[in-house]
Amino acid sequence: MDRFKLTLAGREKLSYVTLAAVFLVLFGGLVRLQIVSHAELAVQSENNRIRVQPVFPRRGVVTDREGRVIIENRPSYTVSVVPAEEIAGVTLPELSLLLGLDTTEIRRRICKNTVSRYQPASVKRDIPFEMVAILEEQSDRFPGVTYHMEQVRRFNHDLGGESFTGYVGEVSEEDMKRTDQVEYYLGSTIGKKGLEKQYDFLLRGREGTAYIEVSAAGHILGPYQEKPPVPSIPGANLMLTIDNDLQTACTQALDTFCCGAVVAIDPRNGELLAMTSWPGFDANIFSSVIPEDLWEEIRSDSTHPLLNRPLNGLYPPASTTKLVAIGGGLEEGIITPNSVFKPCLGGMQFGNRYFRCWQSRGHGTTTAAHAIEQSCDVYLYQLGLKLGVDGLSKYYGLCGFGSITELDLPNESPGLNPNSEYYDKRYGVNQWTRALAMNNSIGQGELLATPLQVAQFFCGLANDGVVYQPHIVKKIIQPFGEETVLAPKVSFRLPFSEETLDVLMEGLRLVVEGEHGTARHLRNDLYSIGGKTGTAENPHGENHSWFVGMAPLDRPEIVVCAIIENAGHGSDVAAPMVGQVIRAYMEKKLGLNQIAATETEAGE
Amino acid sequence: MILNYSSLDWKLIGAALGLSLIGVMLIMSAQHHADSIYKQEYYLRQLLWLAFALIAFATVVHLPLKLFDFSAYLLYGLAIVLLLLVLVVGTPRMGAYRWFSFGPINFSPSDFAKIAVLCAVARFLAYTKLPVVNIRRLAISAPIVLLPAMLILKQPDLGTSLVFFVMLFALWFWSGLSPTYLILILSPMVSLITASHWLAWSIYIGVLLAFLFYLRLGMLFGIYTVVANLAFGAITPFLWGRLADYQKLRILTFLDPGRDPRGAGYQIIQSKIAIGSGGIFGKGLFHGSQTRLDFLPERHTDFIFSVLGEEFGLIGAMVVLFLFAVIFYRAVRIAARCRSRFASLIVMGAASIIMFQFLVNIGMTLGFMPVTGLPLPFVSYGGTSMVLFWSLIGLIVSADYRWQDY
Repeated sequence: MDRFKLTLAGREKLSYVTLAAVFLVLFGGLVRLQIVSHAELAVQSENNRIRVQPVFPRRGVVTDREGRVIIENRPSYTVSVVPAEEIAGVTLPELSLLLGLDTTEIRRRICKNTVSRYQPASVKRDIPFEMVAILEEQSDRFPGVTYHMEQVRRFNHDLGGESFTGYVGEVSEEDMKRTDQVEYYLGSTIGKKGLEKQYDFLLRGREGTAYIEVSAAGHILGPYQEKPPVPSIPGANLMLTIDNDLQTACTQALDTFCCGAVVAIDPRNGELLAMTSWPGFDANIFSSVIPEDLWEEIRSDSTHPLLNRPLNGLYPPASTTKLVAIGGGLEEGIITPNSVFKPCLGGMQFGNRYFRCWQSRGHGTTTAAHAIEQSCDVYLYQLGLKLGVDGLSKYYGLCGFGSITELDLPNESPGLNPNSEYYDKRYGVNQWTRALAMNNSIGQGELLATPLQVAQFFCGLANDGVVYQPHIVKKIIQPFGEETVLAPKVSFRLPFSEETLDVLMEGLRLVVEGEHGTARHLRNDLYSIGGKTGTAENPHGENHSWFVGMAPLDRPEIVVCAIIENAGHGSDVAAPMVGQVIRAYMEKKLGLNQIAATETEAGE
Repeated sequence: MILNYSSLDWKLIGAALGLSLIGVMLIMSAQHHADSIYKQEYYLRQLLWLAFALIAFATVVHLPLKLFDFSAYLLYGLAIVLLLLVLVVGTPRMGAYRWFSFGPINFSPSDFAKIAVLCAVARFLAYTKLPVVNIRRLAISAPIVLLPAMLILKQPDLGTSLVFFVMLFALWFWSGLSPTYLILILSPMVSLITASHWLAWSIYIGVLLAFLFYLRLGMLFGIYTVVANLAFGAITPFLWGRLADYQKLRILTFLDPGRDPRGAGYQIIQSKIAIGSGGIFGKGLFHGSQTRLDFLPERHTDFIFSVLGEEFGLIGAMVVLFLFAVIFYRAVRIAARCRSRFASLIVMGAASIIMFQFLVNIGMTLGFMPVTGLPLPFVSYGGTSMVLFWSLIGLIVSADYRWQDY
């Protein structure tokens, strides 16, 4: 039994061995942490105590061509409660009194937004400045209540420029997928539509970083001394080609109608002077928290205020694009400036169908220019049959229809320019007739265009066939003063010779100045106007009213394209409206006094 | 009684005193940035406790060691009464009944029980006529420890009750029981762990049986070993079910600290970050960010060693390890030369108590021992434990001074 027994010396020795083993293990543990893993754990210890806080840059300001504000920033105050500093029975009732929220609701919001007991939990965003003043002056009344300021976007809503300004919102999951920019993260601000989206990268600037030392409980102890903050870089300012005066005029001109759009472009360089989608919406509501019911109201509005009509509204261009067919006919040699077709007697028979002219008493025989003047459908039907579906489609395509204008705004629609391939697919090979060409020749049928495309086409006509790419940003002003002026760019040339263009321009002149012109009422003594009316057939209701005007006719500086939905004839509704916009432009250009003087003279 | 003070083991005393003063300094640093002045006074109170502890130490040294021998069972009885009492009238703190509260002073009877049980076991083993390897000898000495251990487990305080078992094993070993037997006595614990997988357990039982057969240890001992192993293997699932949630969590967290970094694993992770970030030279007194910014939990008590590791680095930690090594080395030397069996066992038992808490506490801060709540001897904040450990030092020094006595 005693063969395992250790002597005293043996036990003593074994004790030392045990001791040595214990110390070796502990020493090994220390070496592992303090030497082997030291670097890694030192980083973790730093990360523990340093909180990286973004320093938000000032978002770029957007002005019109004369430097007047379109989009700027305003301070927005958020009121918060620090849970650890809240005094029961004092903080909440007082806050409830101030904000007009009941205490249970405030409690619910505090609980929802609490990160740590020492960090403010936001209760209400965008409180009025008067409340901030009360919080500041009577801080003793509100123990544990703080507020902070952030910059939010303010859109000049009076301009009705939402169709190009767009709006901003919080970065969403989809935005995260769409962009690979590291500067975007959930909850930060991003441009959602329009300019704000297109130029987001320039407008947003670069976020800075502040390093703040915090305790385990989240107490903020102040800036971390060893790491200086990285300052933010403010966003670039944008100067647009928009003229606020003209923009206001456009919006006011649309004011009396239900729905419509106006686009005004300088044909000499493609500068977008004004653009309104009607009805509009207030982009400011997206800058703050948008109430659920308001959002629902906007979304379900039958007038679709969120539809960007100039860029995404798809309408049959109607008679406004008769010039494409006539130009094509001239180029192809089907017609000459003086040639005529069979007379218009108020319509024509084709196959088993009777195609009406809009003027039931008929236009008689007309030359090309007079066909434009009077917008004779029968002339166009006969021309369309000769050009055929593909002939028409070719010229529509060459005039910019069916493809985007590449205006520097996002999500533009290309419209639809149908050809025989399209019809084969849609109706089946040989399942459609040449009669479709008749529809297309007067801008009806499947043909769909945006107001912007129609305006672009007329810019080409006004500028000797040279189409400048429409654009909205004139100048980018970097935060440190460096300016980039965006030079106008030729987009394409209309497929028309000088002679053809002369005929078309003569037609446009006659529409206003001719004896039978469909927009005779726009004629005035101060400046010459040319244009074209259009009445788009709308199977769902009253016709859409089109007018595209340009002035002064000898050297056009402005092309205004307008469509008023469900308003009837182009000559009755859209034409006077465009006249009003052009008048606003010319008044500004010539000086109000001169016009007033002339009017007084005319009155006498 | 006047002693010949120059004959006292000053190296041992110096090491313990050094640790105590380092502890006071670390407590000062641990609470240096605390919000309330009350907390900042911790180190002053620790100094006061140290004064009390030194008085206790001096008292123990001046009393004849025989006194502890004679009154061993009396002390033991008193300890049992106190342990029972604390379960009934103790003041609950964090769900545990461990303390008597006398105004501002909290007294934990389990610390007193450590000395009392030590004396009782030492007295039994020193005077029993039973041979060393005898099942009756073991069977009588075990319950002396088992009773207080169970009462402490009931508080509940698993860590402290383990201290008693470790002390018992140390005394069995020092009184001559071969490590082979110790291993076999402990073998059911292996069964407890391996039983979670049937194959591992089968292999283990096979190896155990072969080992027993080869050693031919005697009938009774062989039967004990086999029965105990089978029994432990069978009750493992049941036992796991009986553990409190916090105990399960501690075990699981110990096995994988990353599984719950904000909860139970948080302490271990933060402690490792603190020690590791200290590197070789440390961040300097009052400059440990983990300590200063509250990331380190229980930093003046259980995790005081992490404060040391962070602020004084490997070098500081080595100094503390060295001082402990001095204490253990001296203790073994003294135990080996004492002529009295009782004195020798007292020294070994006292050293084993200090050693176990030392190992478990530092092992915990380094992340390879579970969180048990055992303070680091001499260094951690706490009055009763300070008095206890200085009393144990007193017993060792006293045994050394009177080494020639029988």
